[in-house]
Amino acid sequence: MSDTPIARGPVAVSPATVRDGWEVDARVATGTLTLSDESPLAKVHVRAPFDGASRAALGVGFGRTARADLGTGEVLVVGSGPGEWLVLGAPNTAGALRAAIEERLAGTGEFTTVLDLTHGRGLLRLTGREAATVLGGVCAIDFGDAVTPDGTALRSSLAAVVTDIVRDDQGGTPSYLLHVERSSGQYLADALLDPGRPSGLEVTGFRGLA
Amino acid sequence: MSLLPTTRGPREAAAPSARLGPQPGEVIDRRRSIPFTWNGEPHTAHPGDTITSALAAAGVRVFARSYKYHRPRGLLTADYLDPGAFLQVGDEPNVRGAHRLVEAGMAVSSQNTWPSLRYDLKAVNQLAGRFLATGFYYKTFIKPEPLWPLYEKVLRRFVHAGAITPERGAAVYDHRHAHPDVVVAGGGPAGMAAAVAAARAGASVMLVEENHQLGGHLRWGDAADLTALAELRARVAAEPGIEVLLDSVVTGRYDDNWVGIAQRDLPGVTERLIKARAKTLIVAPGLIERPYVFAGNDLPGVMLSTAVRRLINLYAVRPGRRAVVMSANPEGDLAVADLERAGVEVAAVLDARDRKGVVRAHGRGGLRAVETNEGRRIEADLLVTATGWTAPTSLLNQSGDRPIYDPRSARFVPDPARMPENVLAAGEVVGDAGVEAIVEHAEAVGREAARRAGRIARAWRAATPAPADTTDPSDDDPVTIPSLAPQPHPELFAAGTGGFVDFCEDVSAKDITTAVAEGYDSVELVKRYTTVTMGPTQGKLETVNAVALVAAATGRSIAETGTTTWRPVYSPVTLGALAGRPHEPVRYSPMQSWHERHGATPLVAGQWIRPEHYGDPAAEVRAVRTGVGIIDVTPIGKLDLQGPDVPQLLNLLYVNKWSKLGIGRVRYGVMCAEDGVVMDDGVTGRLGEDHYLMSTTSSGAATVWEWVENWLQTAHPDWRVHVTPVTTAYASINVAGPRSRELLARLTDVDLSADAFGYMNVRTGAVAGVPDCVLWRIGFTGELSYEIHVPASYGLHVWERLMAHGADLGVQPFGVEAQRILRLEKGHFIVGQDTDGLTQGFTAGIDGLIKLDKADFVGLPELAWQRERDEHPHLVGLRPVDGSVVPPEASQILDRSGGIAGRVTSSRMSPTLGRAIGLAQIDRELAAVGTRVTVRLPDGRDITAEVTDTVHVDPEGERQRV
Amino acid sequence: MMLLPCPWCGPRNSTEFRYVGEAGPRPDPATVTPEQWRRYLYVHANPCGPVRETWYHRAGCRRYLSVERDTATNDVRSAVDTASAAAASSAPGDAR
Repeated sequence: MSDTPIARGPVAVSPATVRDGWEVDARVATGTLTLSDESPLAKVHVRAPFDGASRAALGVGFGRTARADLGTGEVLVVGSGPGEWLVLGAPNTAGALRAAIEERLAGTGEFTTVLDLTHGRGLLRLTGREAATVLGGVCAIDFGDAVTPDGTALRSSLAAVVTDIVRDDQGGTPSYLLHVERSSGQYLADALLDPGRPSGLEVTGFRGLA
Repeated sequence: MSLLPTTRGPREAAAPSARLGPQPGEVIDRRRSIPFTWNGEPHTAHPGDTITSALAAAGVRVFARSYKYHRPRGLLTADYLDPGAFLQVGDEPNVRGAHRLVEAGMAVSSQNTWPSLRYDLKAVNQLAGRFLATGFYYKTFIKPEPLWPLYEKVLRRFVHAGAITPERGAAVYDHRHAHPDVVVAGGGPAGMAAAVAAARAGASVMLVEENHQLGGHLRWGDAADLTALAELRARVAAEPGIEVLLDSVVTGRYDDNWVGIAQRDLPGVTERLIKARAKTLIVAPGLIERPYVFAGNDLPGVMLSTAVRRLINLYAVRPGRRAVVMSANPEGDLAVADLERAGVEVAAVLDARDRKGVVRAHGRGGLRAVETNEGRRIEADLLVTATGWTAPTSLLNQSGDRPIYDPRSARFVPDPARMPENVLAAGEVVGDAGVEAIVEHAEAVGREAARRAGRIARAWRAATPAPADTTDPSDDDPVTIPSLAPQPHPELFAAGTGGFVDFCEDVSAKDITTAVAEGYDSVELVKRYTTVTMGPTQGKLETVNAVALVAAATGRSIAETGTTTWRPVYSPVTLGALAGRPHEPVRYSPMQSWHERHGATPLVAGQWIRPEHYGDPAAEVRAVRTGVGIIDVTPIGKLDLQGPDVPQLLNLLYVNKWSKLGIGRVRYGVMCAEDGVVMDDGVTGRLGEDHYLMSTTSSGAATVWEWVENWLQTAHPDWRVHVTPVTTAYASINVAGPRSRELLARLTDVDLSADAFGYMNVRTGAVAGVPDCVLWRIGFTGELSYEIHVPASYGLHVWERLMAHGADLGVQPFGVEAQRILRLEKGHFIVGQDTDGLTQGFTAGIDGLIKLDKADFVGLPELAWQRERDEHPHLVGLRPVDGSVVPPEASQILDRSGGIAGRVTSSRMSPTLGRAIGLAQIDRELAAVGTRVTVRLPDGRDITAEVTDTVHVDPEGERQRV
Repeated sequence: MMLLPCPWCGPRNSTEFRYVGEAGPRPDPATVTPEQWRRYLYVHANPCGPVRETWYHRAGCRRYLSVERDTATNDVRSAVDTASAAAASSAPGDAR
């Protein structure tokens, strides 16, 4: 037991390894359908008017995502709600990212709030050609390409838990980031692994944003 | 062969096989045989055999006893609907024996038979007809009321349905959401053609077929039909956009084309409910052959023409030896040809188009002879009727259609004018013609369904944010759908000699006419009074005959009589499929793994799993009162509030005042609803100029967040406040006890001295090396205590540091139970425990908090009136005179005349005082401190208790202020 | 299951929403009589036909919506954010 603080995501890990001060799962999946706990990613929550200067400054509106560099390395900016954004960055960059966003929004004159929710939310990533099939077992959203193409952000109920669902394909393979209240993270992982088993869903370790 | 129907008993010789030589359209695999048992006797089947086809091939003719009168029943339709073949398979009751395929090792038995299928004692019901008179439920069991439980027991012994096992079976159920462009209900020629046309037009299609193969009636047709079937199946197979679901059924059509599909063809899954949001629905169920009502029409050996054609052509089973056929249509004539080809002697064909027909069937336990309307009596073991068709318009009715009776074709037909844009009908439910005309019509319907689906999809996409490309090049000109009319058919429903209308519910023609004579002259009333159409087939076989009989009895036409309402579900679905996989969200704190490792007894509190205690809650209480304890209070609701208008918001939602809360200060507040009822409480701290952290009760966290947003968004959208739920962003740990300062000081550089960090203050700082922690100095337990909110990822780290660094101080983890005792000793009420849905603010004893001089706050008028009336109950402390008796919560408090004057809301044995203490809501007359009251315990004993102040321990509150 | 046309998220299953209640003005607490206040709390028109009501999209955009719905057909004529000018309501619909 060390006195150095160690951070942990919401999903139990087995076996564990430590990366960047975070205890993460050491497993590396070999299959084509995977679930990983991406909770170590920095998660900064932004509130601002739905359609004003802040939106222009963040570069994306409700329902879509964009990759950007706000000065802290590559981040994923997600239009997660009307007047709500979620900015995802590399682990341990939340403080700098928050400051960079505050600076960027300061000039707008709009009423804005920037909050670090890194520790307050769980973030899972489900990747694979069968990912939409797994989601279709627990969510009423149409995950077809015509309705939910890459770069779509939406919020809905996933296995009875309100979840931000972000389609963020990985090298042409469908991939979904699932963002929930931290305390629901373990439940959601279980709720996906159970129906995902017939499709060969496997747990894999933290992958990061790239 | 004996004409007495029989199941093969051990003393009987095996009946000669009724299996025919190979048939062109047969669906059985003769190369293999699979074993199964029927009422314990070994049998074999070929793969593809249904349970009843395999048994019929072995000469079995009776499968069940009927519901009310326990009459022997054989095959009637030889498909899913067959009312004579509800069987028990293993631990699964009510299996459709004429539909379910035999699997190796299946144990099949008859239901509703005691002691055996052959010697059914309950058949005495047939002799006790008066006992089961029309409407017998209502007439017989209505009085006297106290005998209802006895009636229930008697009835239970006599009703059908098989046996269910109390154990959770191996069955697996599942759900799936689907978003097809087009759902086609029915995989006959029309369904297949429509699906292919829709898929070719670019639509994604789900083609749903109840049977085990596509094809509908083509499957048991002649060579030309089989050729057409092969062609249509090839076309379906060639379309990747069609998902074929066999042994599956559309269970209902709901608002906005939400279509339920029960899917039973999945390996490893017993039944899956597909929740399909179909852009368009094509209803193509074909036609259902209608039974004819005459005396003896339920005798084993009386079958529909489609039943014998299925048995001969699909399963190669000879349905009898000597047949009489009553035919009113070409399909009946084809049945004659099939019977002759199968070697059945056709003793007579009664052409109903020439007004010839059957009036009575004779036999005991099975058909022996047929009596015609010309007075002939013909020996036969098989009577085949082909007297008309019913269009199963159920899904169309559920879409708003009201079918119209067409006397020319003797059936109800859909009214296209009443169908919504997203529902279309194809095939024989619309009209019947040759296969070519059906296919041509269905193809047009399929193209039109795809076109409409495209339009609906574009509209939906245009209504979603940041729509993707919405240019969809599909043709928007409506497709011209050729007309398809029902063929003329004589109106044939009943011979007028009695007989059964509803084979599932044992409702006879006489029951219907009796009901009308007793005044139940509407078809809906007749249905409820006689239970006609209320059995497992849900009217698919019975409704039109029942309507015709009501019409005849009332002297009205069938069109005037109308039909009963066809509601979902179309076909029974298991409760397991409706439930699917259990999805009950649970929440865990970051310290959950520690609690589990240290023997915590889990407590389910709403969605949260919390430690109730770690073995000895009383010891945990003493540790807090004498040393230091830590408790995981992560579920406490937390809302981050930012913006210049936060004070206005707090003033509106809390009953007390908030304008002057300084930075670094914490205040307790209570929220009431507009009816003045207490809804939540908690402390709110001011972290910065425009930055506040509000806490709520654990159970109220979600409700309060929605409440705050409601007032902001609906009533005050101009206020500049941003609310973010941060309940689980922090791991919350309460460090409580006289030595809590000493422990915490070892892990933080925040100045904890009484002068620097006084009671009801908030600070931020690092704890155990973790920055950005929020520390409140508050006291729910009544001891010196600090509630620390740690960024959740570090919760376990900080918890473990507190335990490690407090070892020499005797630090003890405590659970919810110890906390409940500690707060009860201090007299703090719990919203929802000591208050309920009627407890207004002044009853809860927060008189000092409620500021009626504020211009406005939620619930103000009601609270002002409550105080003005001054007749409300009070929340008081309560101590039983005998301190060893803890009156259970919800024990009643009696007034002087023995009436109810209140109740115990909380009670525990106090480890600190060594006696029972409690809180109670009590009428104001008895609420004065020192009043002695009678408490009635749940076991009926009365005890005496004394009303006290709510605070039982440290009334001056000195311990928490040190 | 009916679809509700959320002005933010598009058509969604009604189970994603919480039905809040009929929308109506909140009486002035300074002058209100008990009769008027209880009418506000408990008395609803509950028509068979068009009604303006509030729904909360709890599993979606988390916005309160002012919805005009025909209770006989479930047809939704309009659905707008309660914070927008088009929804001139001044009280939460479920204040009890």
